[in-house]
Amino acid sequence: MTYTLPPSEQQDEQSTRAVATSRGVESPAPKSRNRGRIALKNLRREIPSSVLAIMFIFLIVLPMIFIIIAAFSTAVPRPGNPDVGTFTWENFAILGTDRGVQSIINSMIIGTGAGLLSLIIGALLAFIAARTDAPWKRFIYIAGIAPMFLPALVGALAWSILASPTSGHLTLFLRDIGLGGGINIYSYGGIIFVLGLYYAPYTFMLTYSSFAMMNADLEEAASVHGAGLRKLFGSVTLPLAVPALAGAAILSFTLAMENFPVNAILGNPAGIETLPTYIYGLMVGDPQPNAAAAIAIALTAAVVIVTVVQQRVVNRKRFTTLTGKGNRPRPVPLRGLRWVATGFAVLYFTLSVGMPMIALVLTATSKNVYINRFMDLFEGFSFDRIAQAIGQSDFRESMTNSIIMAIAAAVVGTLIAFLASYVRYRSTSRLGQLLEQIAMSPLAIPQVVLGMGILWVWLSLPFPVYGTIALLVIATLAVNMPQGYRSISSSMLQLDGDLENSAVMLGAGRMRAVRNITIPLMRTGIVSTLLLLLMLGLREMSAILFLYTSDTRVLSILVFHSFENGSISYSAAISLVFVLLIAVVAIATQVIGIRERKFKDASL
Amino acid sequence: MKITIENLQLRYGKFTAIDDMQLEIGDRESVVLLGKSGCGKTSTMRCIAGLEEPTAGRITIGDTVVFDAEKGINLPPNKRNVGMVFQSYAVWPHMTVFQNVAYSLKLQKLPKDEIKTRVMETLELVGLEAFAERGASLLSGGQMQRVALARSLVMRPSVLLLDEPLSNLDARLRDRLRIELREIQLEMGLTTVYVTHDQQEAFALADRIALMQDGIIVQMDKPTAMYNEPVSASIAHFLGVSNVLPVTASADGDYTLTDAPLTVTTSQTRPAPGAQDLKACIRSEDLKLARAGVAGANSWEGVVRVASFQGSSIRYAVEVGDVALDVVAPKGSDDFVVGDTAWVTVSPAAVQVLPEAVTKRADLTVGAVAA
Repeated sequence: MTYTLPPSEQQDEQSTRAVATSRGVESPAPKSRNRGRIALKNLRREIPSSVLAIMFIFLIVLPMIFIIIAAFSTAVPRPGNPDVGTFTWENFAILGTDRGVQSIINSMIIGTGAGLLSLIIGALLAFIAARTDAPWKRFIYIAGIAPMFLPALVGALAWSILASPTSGHLTLFLRDIGLGGGINIYSYGGIIFVLGLYYAPYTFMLTYSSFAMMNADLEEAASVHGAGLRKLFGSVTLPLAVPALAGAAILSFTLAMENFPVNAILGNPAGIETLPTYIYGLMVGDPQPNAAAAIAIALTAAVVIVTVVQQRVVNRKRFTTLTGKGNRPRPVPLRGLRWVATGFAVLYFTLSVGMPMIALVLTATSKNVYINRFMDLFEGFSFDRIAQAIGQSDFRESMTNSIIMAIAAAVVGTLIAFLASYVRYRSTSRLGQLLEQIAMSPLAIPQVVLGMGILWVWLSLPFPVYGTIALLVIATLAVNMPQGYRSISSSMLQLDGDLENSAVMLGAGRMRAVRNITIPLMRTGIVSTLLLLLMLGLREMSAILFLYTSDTRVLSILVFHSFENGSISYSAAISLVFVLLIAVVAIATQVIGIRERKFKDASL
Repeated sequence: MKITIENLQLRYGKFTAIDDMQLEIGDRESVVLLGKSGCGKTSTMRCIAGLEEPTAGRITIGDTVVFDAEKGINLPPNKRNVGMVFQSYAVWPHMTVFQNVAYSLKLQKLPKDEIKTRVMETLELVGLEAFAERGASLLSGGQMQRVALARSLVMRPSVLLLDEPLSNLDARLRDRLRIELREIQLEMGLTTVYVTHDQQEAFALADRIALMQDGIIVQMDKPTAMYNEPVSASIAHFLGVSNVLPVTASADGDYTLTDAPLTVTTSQTRPAPGAQDLKACIRSEDLKLARAGVAGANSWEGVVRVASFQGSSIRYAVEVGDVALDVVAPKGSDDFVVGDTAWVTVSPAAVQVLPEAVTKRADLTVGAVAA
């Protein structure tokens, strides 16, 4: 091996002198021109982020501003009339009326009840699936997340078929076997039951990872120091999970509070009015939009407060679970309770998926349209009604609309989420963080409210968007932005930025590096985001409640309306197709997720 | 090609990562930026690469000004013809080894045959010719490192930047690749800038080492000079001198330990009189243990508190007064055990009395760029 000598000091001096002289010759340009050029350069760097910022303004910021304006004024924007009236506090008087107070109380009762119920179900299932020796663990896990793919709208519809006080299948069954008709789904209990049932998967997912990833060392340390299993659970396991549990409970509380379809389907027959249904009532029929805006502000304020609390709690959670790595914690022996635990999961699956699906199938296929006795259901089956439903033109139109809307919202949503994540995590743009906050903000805005704001924005803008599917796409984009953004940005954060940088170092332009390296490597993340948004778009209902017209009705709206109009078996038939459509997308998402995990394991 | 960095400054808000740096790197020279994490060494490299935009200053590669804050010049990284090996290697897992290495040549739209010859040549250079068709995600750490290197070399860069390329490898592989890297650098006559926090790596690879602390180059020297004559006690400590003892100058020209009534003599250059915050720096292998005292300076009586066998040597902690000295003695017949009384001796030539930190910039004195 030979060493070359480092360049001598003299050479260095010469070269520096050369630099110094060349610098003297090329006198710098006037300062002011420099500053202008630098400012221009900085401006050019902010172009992509500015385009995104403008999009977010139209999607999210402006609608919220319109709601606020409407809440404090005497008029709302109408087509061709952007006049917003004069300032007033009076709209908020509606919150003090009996109806207003009652709907606030009702929302609180239902939110709290459903939050608690879904926490108990979700956390128990998560604990059983993650930490015990109960049999059928794989099934328990699937049971924990499966109901997520059944829209709460369909769940509420099925449960009203099952347990309405007069002709519910279960009610009839109990009456036929002589137990009397004690059940009534059209009640506080019924609403809480259904919401708790269908939001339990959210608490399940949030708490499952916290139980499963809990650092075994922490527990082992406690047992080394003499803690028994019961003591261990009480003093280590549970306290460690508390942040996740609290976060999950609060999330399902807000979801239940702002839910529209369940509150409408199960609450309306009983006269139980909640904030979302009250807003709906004020928007249709005899419209009082300014009052609706005032209630929307109240609902949003409640959700914002609770969401802020939740983020605090979840941030703390991150602190505790990220330490969890290495060996898995040992399973808790349940002994005699092993099958009880599995039985609980079976029961949950039966109540949330099994019975509702059977009820829908029976209602859609039973020869008897009018059921007076439980056995009437089994007098004969035919698929005529499903075939008839599929043949209906309004079904076909809605189906087409649903698919077009979901695909458009998913594609555009993924694109925007990708750009926003890129600006946030891969560029030096100063707007990145702000964009992220706006993208995530719809989490704290009830969907009904955001939909209402979008309606007013596009009514007053001089673009003929109202009455087209584009408007539904815009609303779906806006409400699902947080989910899309979170999904894409987590995928982007897992990718080392130097992978793309190295392509640039090798001579590729930035765009080309993104195309050759970043997008192929994020492919699974992008596809699963696309499918997630597709699924959410298919289910969307609350946000587009005020935006559809007879030409742009989608499946969820059709289901809701047929039910409202009393065509139960027709809506059951549509629901079945609807659920099937979502299930296909959901299963595709899961398969992609599994493949991604395998791909990662292989590449490590 | 030569790299000239003038008045380089990089700030993130109020934090200054690089403070008014001057640095000249000669053609075919290998300069190692050495320092603790957060000292600004990686930032400096990323500024040269163009991945980071400095707030002020000028960077010239060869005759091309790639960055000049005043003139608003900022050549994008892909126009600088700079090769870079990332700490994480950044080898693309969705491509084969060949595709990884061929990437830059394909961008240049070279004919297929030429691409093939050049890629295979380069793969041969790094010893991966048999792995060309292997998927990059199936490689070991050492192989990925070689792919990353080959990928940068194949484009014949003006300058090669290496960002801690060996830090993710196990110790033996690291030793081997260190020698290989140096061989390739010398063989190809590449100008390289190498970033590391590992002094051994720096000594092995550098023509000159630029030692950085808090965004400033505090010393710039050849490896042997850096090892023998660190300019401050904090540099000496960073370079592995384990006995750094606070001292005060006495009237007779010797020094007294601040923590114990012992006198230290040095025959090395002494700091200017009146200098504050002085430290006597002694390498553990320069301290000798004996059963009896030696006449003359720098011989102190102490008690062995810890003796730990290290294979070819034994490491002792010897308590002298209130000071614990770190002594490494070759394994021999007369080994000490815990509790033994021992005399610690050090030649005055092996004692350096240095100020704790230097405030002046080494880059200004070495680079001597006229402002």
